[in-house]
Order: sequence, then structure tokens, then C-alpha cells
Amino acid sequence: MNMKRREAVVAAILWLATGVAGAAGPAPTCLISGKEKPASVCAAHTKTISATCFICHGPNGKSVAAIPGLAGQDKDYLVTAMREFRDGKRESTVMQKYALGYTDSEYEAIAAFFAAIK
Amino acid sequence: MTLHRRDFLKIAGAGLAASLLAKPAFSATRSKPHVVVVGAGFGGATCAKYLRLWDPNIQVTLIEPNDKFYSCPMSNWVIGGLRNMDDLTKSYEHLPGYGIKMVKDTAIGVDADWRVVTTRRGKKIAYDRLVLAPGIEFMTDLVEGYAEGEAAGKVLHAWKAGPQTLALRKQLEAMPDGGVFVIASPPPPGRCVSGPYERASLVAHYFKQHKPRSKIIMLDGHIDVVSKGPMFKAAWKQFYPGMIEHRPNNQVVKVDHKTMVVTSEFEDVKADVINIVPKQRAGDICAQAGVRADSAGVWCPVNGATFESPTVPFVHVLGDSVATNMPKSAHVSNNQAKICAAALVELFNGREPDPYPVIGSTSYSATSDHTAGPIAVVMRHDPEKGTYVRQPGGGASPEGDEINFEYNKAWFEHIWADTLG
Ligand SMILES: Cc1cc2nc3c(=O)[nH]c(=O)nc-3n(C[C@H](O)[C@H](O)[C@H](O)COP(=O)(O)OP(=O)(O)OC[C@H]3O[C@@H](n4cnc5c(N)ncnc54)[C@H](O)[C@@H]3O)c2cc1C
Ligand code: HEC
Repeated sequence: MNMKRREAVVAAILWLATGVAGAAGPAPTCLISGKEKPASVCAAHTKTISATCFICHGPNGKSVAAIPGLAGQDKDYLVTAMREFRDGKRESTVMQKYALGYTDSEYEAIAAFFAAIK
Repeated sequence: MTLHRRDFLKIAGAGLAASLLAKPAFSATRSKPHVVVVGAGFGGATCAKYLRLWDPNIQVTLIEPNDKFYSCPMSNWVIGGLRNMDDLTKSYEHLPGYGIKMVKDTAIGVDADWRVVTTRRGKKIAYDRLVLAPGIEFMTDLVEGYAEGEAAGKVLHAWKAGPQTLALRKQLEAMPDGGVFVIASPPPPGRCVSGPYERASLVAHYFKQHKPRSKIIMLDGHIDVVSKGPMFKAAWKQFYPGMIEHRPNNQVVKVDHKTMVVTSEFEDVKADVINIVPKQRAGDICAQAGVRADSAGVWCPVNGATFESPTVPFVHVLGDSVATNMPKSAHVSNNQAKICAAALVELFNGREPDPYPVIGSTSYSATSDHTAGPIAVVMRHDPEKGTYVRQPGGGASPEGDEINFEYNKAWFEHIWADTLG
């Protein structure tokens, strides 16, 4: 009985997934970690990697304390800052360690996210 | 499982049972899915908030027994006299504004087949997905005499912030100059590895000013000062020479609060103030749900992309309760919560969750009233390996300094705002 119910749930979810894809035609895709994925996967990825910065830089990058804010910063400024942190061209306490953990395309995506916040 | 199906049918009647059976259909037709989150700490509160921010169509119920949140981060600052309890006591008042339904209660049972949570006050709450973020519980029975000592108020952990934080501070204030403060920490893994070393540093800072003949003996279940070792050792030498004795590989097995003797595997130590952090495991509700299922039965394995239990569908686990190679910190719990929230949004909308989430792990520790230092590591999920992989380039600062003391304060403000604000 329980197993049947679980299977029903899985079936419902699968149906939904195919239903959505079918309705939208060939869904737009994106490249993530070398794999082609629905564009929604990359959008979700950008959302959460940007949100990892909130803990230090403030929710949505809006700072009320000593760590500088990121919200509304110029996109190119942010990308350049990340590259310079990574390459050790700009001094930092933690940012080199963070910059080394993300890729160039992630810098771009995160920078676009914060640049768009008013 | 405390709720048996038979009892449930008796209590709930056929109407609710039918609506429960219809739940998957609800989600599939995209009426409002319901997520129940247990525990409004760094994991649970963050997850509830971001679920609502990222998909207002999702209904969120957050179960938490406490009126207020007591932050463990900064609690060592209170114990060392740098801050007071008010500074780390935070309100839950902003969460309902996000559309989160707060239930002041304790979850005591989970029926994972019927997808119902039972609370201490007898509520039965149905869920489409359940997020468990209860933090830790202590395995006090591993230290002989601990329970008696704790009941007598003579043995404290102060490893959940709140009354014990204040009690420990009071005992240190009452301790005569020349006294001995014993702080014992368990072998890994446990909540906040660097916490005992920060605590020793800040208590030493207090002793140095007010009780300079006093001593701190650390009985450490770790093989060394395993987190930020060079930073702590340098600070102890510079600021508190001769005051802190660190004794590694020295697990406590017994405590006698009447004679105030702490016994480790190797020695007896006479103390004036006793702070023993026992070994920990995932909160009891995880056991009730059947997800406290690692080989030792203490932590909860999860799928790293969704934080769903691999064995109990629709139950997700966050924060310190998770069986993982990530440090058990507020910073990591907050990050995990966002990844779980984003995955739930994708799942409820019939899309694939991101298989490659990234987690940043940082903790700041103070070494005095004006110096602190961070550790920073980025970890990326590898779905093939089924684990998070530490990226090269991370690590700890070799010494504490003033700028990081300022950044540490900014970190407090921002993580509280991000979790509860
Ligand atoms: C001294 C000390 C200092 C620390 N400093 C730092 C630091 O500087 N930086 C850092 O990143 N981390 C730090 N930490 C670690 C951090 O506090 C924890 O890792 C973090 O709190 C874990 O979050 P969580 O959501 O898993 O649990 P918690 O934050 O403990 O939240 C769990 C919540 O669940 C509730 N709950 C439990 N069971 C139930 C139930 N059955 N029903 C309903 N509610 C329930 C509890 O009341 C609690 O509110 C420190 C810890 C200590 C002890
Ligand atoms: C552990 C805290 C912490 C986290 C997490 C963190 N930062 Fe930072 N960030 C800092 C600090 C501190 C500085 C100041 C430079 C330094 O000392 O590292 C800074 C500086 C910056 C700057 C320069 C800002 C300016 O005004 O010039 C940028 C850009 C930046 N961070 C981006 C990010 C991004 C993007 C993320 C998320 C991927 C992130 N940071 C995550 C702490 C953090």
C-alpha cells in the first residue's frame, strides 16, 4: 500500500516533468560543469551561488557593516574584482580563497545578479 | 514513529486521510504545495524564508518551541565578557512577514508513509515535503556522572546558546583568582570544531584582566588544535602565556561534581569550573523520522543536491544533523538551507534541481577582545562521487588581527539578518 502510494507519487512527478517540457517545446539549455542541462538548472545555480555571498556581504548584498556591500555594483567592477582576488593582484583576507572556488562564468553570473539589485 | 496509521485514522477521520492521499495530485496540479520545517535555527529558519522568497506559491509551516533565538555564534563572546546575552538573543518577529506560518511547538513524531508530523501538543500536520533542522542533541550517557552534574548545575556544556551560556559566565565570574577552568571537547565530528579554542581564548582574555593567576586546562578529544591551530597557538603565546594548557587526545570519560574532578582516559583533573562538551548526534526528531541512518546511527545521510534522505522520500535534513564532510557551522547550515530551498522550488515546479551546488564554509574565531581570524573553504557538489569536494586554495589565516575582528562582527550581523531578518 505504501509502496504503491510512493510509486504513484513518482509517476505524478514524472508526468509533470514531461508535461512541462512537452508544452514548452524544445526547452532552452545551458552548459553547467561541462554538461548540457535545461536553462532552469543554470538559473537555479546562479541563484544559490549568489546567495552564498549574502552571509558576509548582507542579504541581497546589502551591507550594514564592515564587509562592503555588493548590491547595485557595476557588473564589470565585480567581475574584475573577483579575477584580481583570484590572481592575488588585489589583497584580501578571505576573498582570494572564495574566488579560487568559483569559475569565470560563475563570476559573470554572480556579478550580473548583484548588479541588477537596486 | 509515534503516530500509527490506525490511530491516525481514528483521530483524523476519513476526510483528512482522503486529502492526504490526494496530496501528490495537489503538487502535480500546482496548487499550493506544503513544506513543514522543523527547527528555526540557522538551517531551518533560512530554508523557510528562502522557500517563501523564491516561490510564494509554496506554503511553509515552521515548528519551533522557543520564543526567541539564542545564537551560538557570539556566545563565546558572552562567556568571555565581551558581550552580554541581549546581544545574541534574536527575535523571530520578522519571519511571519514572509508568509511563514510559525507553530510554537516541538515535533515529536513523523509518519513518513502518511507524511504527517506530530507535535508535543497533539497537532498533526500534513506535509508534501518535510525539512528537519533540529541541530544537535548530546550523548551525555557517554560521560559517567554528566547527567547528575548537569542536574546539580555544576557541569555545563554551553554548546547550545541560552541559559547555560549565562550560567557558565556567572560561574567564571564567581571563580576565585587562582582557580582552574576545565574545558573538555569531544572527538570529531561535532558542532563547531573551532568553538572550544575560541572559548579558551576569550576566557583567558577575561582571566588575564580579572583573575591573572587562574588556569585553563583543555582536555581535547582532537589530536591537536585542529581548527585554525597556528592562529590559536600564536595568540595563546602572545596574549596569555602560560595560562592555557592544551592536552590533545584526551577524551573525558567521567565527572564527579561533588569532588569537582574531571577524569579523562589518562588523568584526573581537579577543577573549579567545569565545562564539558559531550559527543553529539542529530536531533531526536531525525531518529523518529528514520533518517538518523549513518552507520553509527548518529547523523543523517542526504543527497547533496537536494538534502533529501536517500532512504526516506520527501524528508530533507539540514544543518548540524547532516552526515557530511562539511564543518558543522551556522555558515554551512545557512548555505545548505538555500540549496535545499532552491531544490524544493525546482521539484515542486517539475524541473530538475541543480546537480552541482556550491557551498562556502567560513567561520571566524576571536582570539582576544580585538583580534579574530577566519577560515574559508569552497566546496562543490560532485553528483558522481555523491559528495561535496573541497576546492583548492581554501584555508585558515595563520594569525588573528584587528581587521578580521571587524569582519567577524559584520559576519554576525549579516548572518542573523539573512536567517531571521
Ligand atoms: C560556542 C559556539 C560558537 C559557535 N560559533 C559559530 C560561528 O562563529 N560561526 C558558525 O558558522 N557557527 C558557529 N557555531 C555553530 C552553529 O551554532 C551551529 O552549527 C548551527 O547553530 C547549526 O544550525 P542548525 O540549524 O543545524 O541548528 P540550530 O541553530 O541549533 O537550530 C536548531 C533549532 O531546532 C529547534 N528544534 C530542535 N528540535 C526540535 C523539534 N523536535 N521540534 C521543533 N524544533 C526543534 C531548536 O530549538 C533550535 O532552535 C558555534 C557553535 C557553538 C556551540
Ligand atoms: C566569509 C565572508 C565572505 C564571503 C562568504 C564572501 N565575501 Fe566577498 N568580501 C569579504 C571581505 C572580508 C571582503 C574585503 C576583502 C577581503 O579582505 O577579503 C570582501 C570583498 C569583496 C569584493 C570587493 C568589494 C568592493 O567593494 O571592492 C567583492 C566583489 C566580493 N567580496 C565578492 C564576493 C562574492 C561574489 C561572494 C560570493 C561568491 C563573496 N564575496 C563572498 C568577505 C566575504
